[in-house]
Amino acid sequence: MTIDELAWGRRYLMCPPEHFGVLYEINPWMHAEVVVDKDRAREQWDGLVATLRSAGATVEVVPQPEDVPDMVFTANGGIVDATAPGGPLFVPSHFRHPERQPETEHFARWFDDQGWRVERLPTDLTHEGAGDALPFGGILVSGYRFRSDQLAATAFSRITGTPVRSVELVDERLYHVDITFCPLSDRHAIGAPMGWDRYGRQVMEALVPEPLWLTDEEALSFCANSVVVGTTVVMPVTPVRVGRQLEAWGFDVVTCDVSEFLKAGGGCRCLTLSLDTPLTTVP
Amino acid sequence: MTVTETFVLEGHIVDSLLLAKVLDLVLELGADYELSEVTIGRTSSDASRAVIEVRADDDDVLDRLAEQLRVHGANPKDPGDAEVVTAEVDGVLPAGFHSTTNLATEVRVGRHWVSVTNPEMDCGLAIDTDASGSVTARTVPMHRVHAGDRIVIGQAGVRVQPPTSARGAAGFEFMDSEVSSEKPKGLLLATLAERMREARGSGQKVLAVCGPAVIHTGGGPEIARLVKAGFIDVLFAGNGFATHDIESNMLGTSLGISVTSGAGTEGGHSNHLRVINEIRRHGSIAAAVEAGLIGGGAMYECVQRGVPFVLGGSIRDDGPLPDTMTDVVAAADRMRELVPGVGVALMLATTLHAIATGNLLPGSVDTWCIDINPAVVTKLADRGSHQARGVVTDVGPFLRQLADLLGS
Repeated sequence: MTIDELAWGRRYLMCPPEHFGVLYEINPWMHAEVVVDKDRAREQWDGLVATLRSAGATVEVVPQPEDVPDMVFTANGGIVDATAPGGPLFVPSHFRHPERQPETEHFARWFDDQGWRVERLPTDLTHEGAGDALPFGGILVSGYRFRSDQLAATAFSRITGTPVRSVELVDERLYHVDITFCPLSDRHAIGAPMGWDRYGRQVMEALVPEPLWLTDEEALSFCANSVVVGTTVVMPVTPVRVGRQLEAWGFDVVTCDVSEFLKAGGGCRCLTLSLDTPLTTVP
Repeated sequence: MTVTETFVLEGHIVDSLLLAKVLDLVLELGADYELSEVTIGRTSSDASRAVIEVRADDDDVLDRLAEQLRVHGANPKDPGDAEVVTAEVDGVLPAGFHSTTNLATEVRVGRHWVSVTNPEMDCGLAIDTDASGSVTARTVPMHRVHAGDRIVIGQAGVRVQPPTSARGAAGFEFMDSEVSSEKPKGLLLATLAERMREARGSGQKVLAVCGPAVIHTGGGPEIARLVKAGFIDVLFAGNGFATHDIESNMLGTSLGISVTSGAGTEGGHSNHLRVINEIRRHGSIAAAVEAGLIGGGAMYECVQRGVPFVLGGSIRDDGPLPDTMTDVVAAADRMRELVPGVGVALMLATTLHAIATGNLLPGSVDTWCIDINPAVVTKLADRGSHQARGVVTDVGPFLRQLADLLGS
């Protein structure tokens, strides 16, 4: 079976865990009393980088300053439009929680240094980047409620011209859309209906031609928070049924242990920011 | 009490089912909505926009709803209430005051739309709150503002009901102008008579504003008939109308010309002065009626029936009559006091008094302007009284037919 591979997902920005830790609690997975094994975290991160590279992706690195323990989750840094008309565009996030807000300028500076165009969201809107916005089938699927404002999707749409589907997230454990949704190819995607309200479910059902809908248990395992490089799916956890279905479709499944990062509520997708996301599609 | 708020929702709200969700939410919380504007994008990448007017039974429901709608990207369209500041000086409105029209107006205070009790053009808007916390809104002319009055500033939180056109539904029409001498007068007369009957039946007042030409053209006795039969409840005029009405009843002339033969009379040019002089001797028109000096006419019937009248003075008045108010600001205030309850206004062969009265009337008052000169109606409309209907005709015969039609 041939798969129409995603046109993106071969170039990532990652942030090595120099100062990672669970130092505060801003989602139900975080418990400040839980100690992160820093060496193990670094090993797991190195393992993810190696897996992505061997799957054919390139990885670029942004250093982690001391004051931003969650900056390792680069997916939340902002939104990338690699095909914007005026050259590659980066829209930095406005984080909901003050604990993560200092990350914005670190990300913006990195992209600016690389010669990217950096455009800002209106200051009264919050949005947590690719964590709450994933492209699929020419549409930007944007999650809202816990971390991002619905209106931010409209603002993105104005900046990039991309049509948006806003999906309301309803389970605090699945607080970003990238924990509930993973585009696999132009037609295939993993989705966690338990994370969406009834309108969101309808929207997603209409959007995805060949879906793999997760059970609640599968969804809570974080398996949707995966990275796709061509036909390789890099998953933090692979429930048996999910792995079988992906293989039946023709994907290679690689399970990559990122358990130290799951302590902070982030998996493989959260640790990567795709740098080749094409939001502006040339007609 | 119903509270309302207008929300705006924009973006890809149709494909994301956001519009459906927001509207469902409104209903689920027991509120109601009206989509006052919906623009749907032509392609999937075009944004859509919906303006949603939400009505709820109380503030609690609206508050909860506003909070929920905000999550889904629907924000209140305007910040809400009208801005109100306190007047600091008697007779001076605060800078930036809201300048009124004569149309039905509502002001938003504490998220409630409050109707303005007395629409009048060219005024300020004052907000009053009584001891029980209930809020009222009224127009206030500049000279009647008191320090401490709470006055509305700017346009936000004020809405005006647009006037409904009285015209027919047909598209292109000849003789379509509101003011034309070439109209079937019989129809207009019948319509006016019907309106006056309706007004009398429903307890609305009929106001007559009369110029001296009413007397010159022989319409004085007709006004008297209408007053006597209870078809005129308030009368506004000037020194001239009252003088010539009394002159014609005492001496049979109007400005010295016989109202029966139309011929000049010897020494007639001073008749009106002698009449004014005698009324001044008695102290008032009512006193002269009481003394038997005046035995008929419009002013006589007003006194007999207790129909209130205001005679507004001007710089060119002879005498004037003791009843003529030479302080024009006080005269306008007295007219203002008599305006509430007026449903029909007749502007009879007068330009300046018609415009002065038009300035005070709410736009909802059925206003008829009867004048031989079409320019008068146009002038009235140009001064903001767009509701005025014009009948271009000689006022004397018109009044006779009207009085006949009403069987007065």
